[in-house]
Amino acid sequence: MTRILYAKRKAAIRQHSSRAGGFVSTEKSGTKLAAFSNTFIAVIRHLVTTVLCVAIFAGCAVNRYQAPVSAFRDRTQQTIGVLGDFYSSRNSYEIDAYLQVVAADSKLEVLETDAQGQPTPLGRPVFSPASIKARLDALNLVGIYAGRLYDLANTTAPASFQTSATVLGDNLGSLDKTFQKLQGAADPTANKYIGPISGLIGTIGQMFLEHARDQLIKKAIADGAPQVDSILAQMRDDMDNIFSKEVVTGAKERLAILAHAYNVERSQLTFEQRTARLLEIKAASAEAAASVGSAPSNVVSSMMSAHKALVEAAASSDKARPMNLAALNSALEAWTTQIQSLAAQVKLLIH
Amino acid sequence: MLKVDTSTLTDVINQCFDYSMDGRFDLNQQSAFLAEGKRLRGLLLNLLSAQFDDATPAVLKANKQLDAVNTSLSNATAVLAKTVQTLNEIAALVGNLDKLLNVAASFI
Repeated sequence: MTRILYAKRKAAIRQHSSRAGGFVSTEKSGTKLAAFSNTFIAVIRHLVTTVLCVAIFAGCAVNRYQAPVSAFRDRTQQTIGVLGDFYSSRNSYEIDAYLQVVAADSKLEVLETDAQGQPTPLGRPVFSPASIKARLDALNLVGIYAGRLYDLANTTAPASFQTSATVLGDNLGSLDKTFQKLQGAADPTANKYIGPISGLIGTIGQMFLEHARDQLIKKAIADGAPQVDSILAQMRDDMDNIFSKEVVTGAKERLAILAHAYNVERSQLTFEQRTARLLEIKAASAEAAASVGSAPSNVVSSMMSAHKALVEAAASSDKARPMNLAALNSALEAWTTQIQSLAAQVKLLIH
Repeated sequence: MLKVDTSTLTDVINQCFDYSMDGRFDLNQQSAFLAEGKRLRGLLLNLLSAQFDDATPAVLKANKQLDAVNTSLSNATAVLAKTVQTLNEIAALVGNLDKLLNVAASFI
């Protein structure tokens, strides 16, 4: 590439030299300018070569984290929304279940304490509010982590990376000014270099920005990942060991109560009343079916998979990175699909 | 720390509810399964977060009992043939699980 540039430049110089009124206009000043231009041409050629080499060996100047980290942040916020609603509704769900039992049996009273002295869901929350709050706080922490990664991936503060870029940037900057002075009659071809040099300054600055940003993101992920993994694993265990059992038995109980009440009372019901009751039973059946799928647990599991892929992509070598970023994108797409289908199911479980 | 086998308890509860909607049982038997299922679910909500000291005899016994009841309930033909006996086994289980709440070391 550089040999082609050099050959073209030499051909252009020969062409200019033979034209009357070109920058080799008078014998004395023309010689000096020609030598000056040749020097600058050589410098530009060297710089272009250097920049191209740096770009190639640095894996090209692309913010490789912006898209996947932005997607990770967005999916995290959606997941937090779905799971936050789920956690917050656990006690009202149990109050509903208790009132359903009372509604189905006209002999039962609404009580805060039952005949055995045990509190009902009206008398005492089934899940302690402090426990629910702790889980919501943990979720929010994961959201903050994803938000910080997003901020890092989208920073546009080259001033932070000025030190790295200063030396080369200063040299390129003065070269740019020199060409700006040269443009016009002194060297009509000088202005052709101004645009590319300005572009190069921007490109090199961006490359230092990308490299420093990459390192910051790698460090942030390496530092935060173990804690995030721990929180998500605990949350998934919560879902599997506590809340999925609560929900699957609650949904089944609701269906069984409605069905049994209908069977006992159906001969006393009008057609409209039977129809209304059967619609309730249908809704309860849908909830029971949704509860079996362990929707909240699956949301957390898919988030854990995407986070694991993000950690692997950040820690990978330059050679392995494209493959790991592709794996991350796949995990993010799978997570997106899971959230969409599971959000609808979780909605059925929230009362 | 030891915990009650809440996975098996969940299965037992759901089987009780299923039999409460099973037309092979008469209405009284369906009512009985529904009532036991509701009692067991109330106990489940408390036992989900209960922890017991290691090797607590009452917990070990309850877990074995849970396993036995679950096995009985999983065979619908056997349950149909011995409905009264099965319901009595469930009632005994309810009683034992209820007693566990008084010996729990902590509730997390």
